[in-house]
Amino acid sequence: MASNLRNSSLQKWSIIIFASLLGFTLFILPVIASSIYSFQKPGGKGYSFISYTWLLHQAGFFPSVGTSLKLAVLAGILNISLMVPTMVYLNFTGQKLKPLVDFICILPLVIPVVSLAIGAQNAMPSFLQNTQYELVFFFVIIGLPFTYRTLDTALQAISLKTLVEASRSLGASWIRTIIRVIVPAIRGGITGALFLTFALSIGEYTITSLLHWETFPTWTVVASQQNILGAIALSVFSFVSAIALLATVALFSKKGARQVGVDQ
Amino acid sequence: MGAVEAQSRVRSSSRSSGVLPLLPFFAFTGFFLLWPVVAVTLKSLKGKNNEWTLDNFRPIIHSGPYFHSFIVSIKLAIITASIGSVVGAFFAFVIVTYVGGRLKNVLDSISAVFANSGGVPLAFMFIAAFGSNGLATKFIRFLGYDIYAGHFTIFSFTGVVLVYTFFQAPLMILVFQPAISGMRKEWREASTNLGASALTYWRRVGIPILLPPFIGAFFLLFAGGFSAYATARALTSGTVSIVPIVIGALVDGNTQASQANLGASLAVGMIVVALVIMIGYVWAQKSTAKWRQT
Repeated sequence: MASNLRNSSLQKWSIIIFASLLGFTLFILPVIASSIYSFQKPGGKGYSFISYTWLLHQAGFFPSVGTSLKLAVLAGILNISLMVPTMVYLNFTGQKLKPLVDFICILPLVIPVVSLAIGAQNAMPSFLQNTQYELVFFFVIIGLPFTYRTLDTALQAISLKTLVEASRSLGASWIRTIIRVIVPAIRGGITGALFLTFALSIGEYTITSLLHWETFPTWTVVASQQNILGAIALSVFSFVSAIALLATVALFSKKGARQVGVDQ
Repeated sequence: MGAVEAQSRVRSSSRSSGVLPLLPFFAFTGFFLLWPVVAVTLKSLKGKNNEWTLDNFRPIIHSGPYFHSFIVSIKLAIITASIGSVVGAFFAFVIVTYVGGRLKNVLDSISAVFANSGGVPLAFMFIAAFGSNGLATKFIRFLGYDIYAGHFTIFSFTGVVLVYTFFQAPLMILVFQPAISGMRKEWREASTNLGASALTYWRRVGIPILLPPFIGAFFLLFAGGFSAYATARALTSGTVSIVPIVIGALVDGNTQASQANLGASLAVGMIVVALVIMIGYVWAQKSTAKWRQT
């Protein structure tokens, strides 16, 4: 028995060590390597912030960041406003239509985004095609698979029926019930869904470039043709800040963090 | 169970139930998701003079480059989904079995970032890390192996495979974890009590149960690898001719009507492949559900 235990603990630790090494090589090493690289001086030895400061002097930098932030915030808000009532209703009432909504929400993962973009070019009325805000709607679409899972998990973790019935029988309207009772109860899930939609929107390239708009990612690709080090610095910055942000959220929120991600 | 059902039926009759509250959702996804798909399909079936035709699909089947782009895309999807699902499943197993609490939350969140970071930043980070002068390349060379000794460059097909693995494996970690968490301790105990070794347990219980969700996750990864555009575009500036890049070139270039229709037919071709994958995914989900019930 004792040797058995020792055996299994040996096995356990060798698996953990192997996994850590593999994880380090596959995921951490590229991040560290590119981070260090982004501080290298062009062509020569030594390190500096030169690639980062180069960015700030580019005419397109602030406008494209501004556009991306604006669109991402709008997409996050629209996503939540659409999906929270939908998911609350689905989870509260009979679940008859839930499989259908589930199916529709997985579609953006399956239908190639390129095809969706080409379709959008043909299908969208011209007043929408003439404004960059058309992207917001498609950012919401590509966020759906994640929002659905995240909100569904959050709603199943609370006693939705009791909360709704209590609130309704006290005379609150549906809207009031959602805003005052349910939203606070599933804060964690909503934050997670918001963050994910925001992150996806900030990084979205395919639809944006095929519909010929300029946001942060498409600008980065154009800028890379002038200065690859600048593009690397930009990429490292956006990637590392995304990780830092989500890791912090995960570390400090007990309930909410678990709902970040594709919790199927 | 019956009482609860009856109760909920009473409740639902007392309230204005129906599809009305779901209307915004259906309207939104109908207009911004389904309608574009229908529109691109219609366009692919239209000829130069707006007549119905299947001509736009002819180049995909007959002409070398377009047919070839589908082969390259499918190959890329199969290779990266295979590597990603095996590596990701291993990490999912380790995380579920040995990691708990806040560290698990952090790992999950990092996986979410990695899984969704398939995009422009990833491409440039990998150029920095695995380019011919990249620091990871130098580090590996220092360890005694020169990845540039053969034909490898980060801007090639193999390079794209490497970068895709970086987001495919974390996606697998996310989607496969629930399947592993669903494995009951009792199953292991029961099989041990019946005298089974660890190997027998995995062969007779573990793998048969995990296989359907594994295949389902594989299909999901396939779909992701098949349709990814940004990373390959930024990494190779369009030299690895996967379908999305060919479509992008058609759309970006001086768009003649015939080319636009060809772009549409390529887009529909991608949807068709994706739908086949979806059928596989749904099948796998059903098999998973069957296991869960019993």
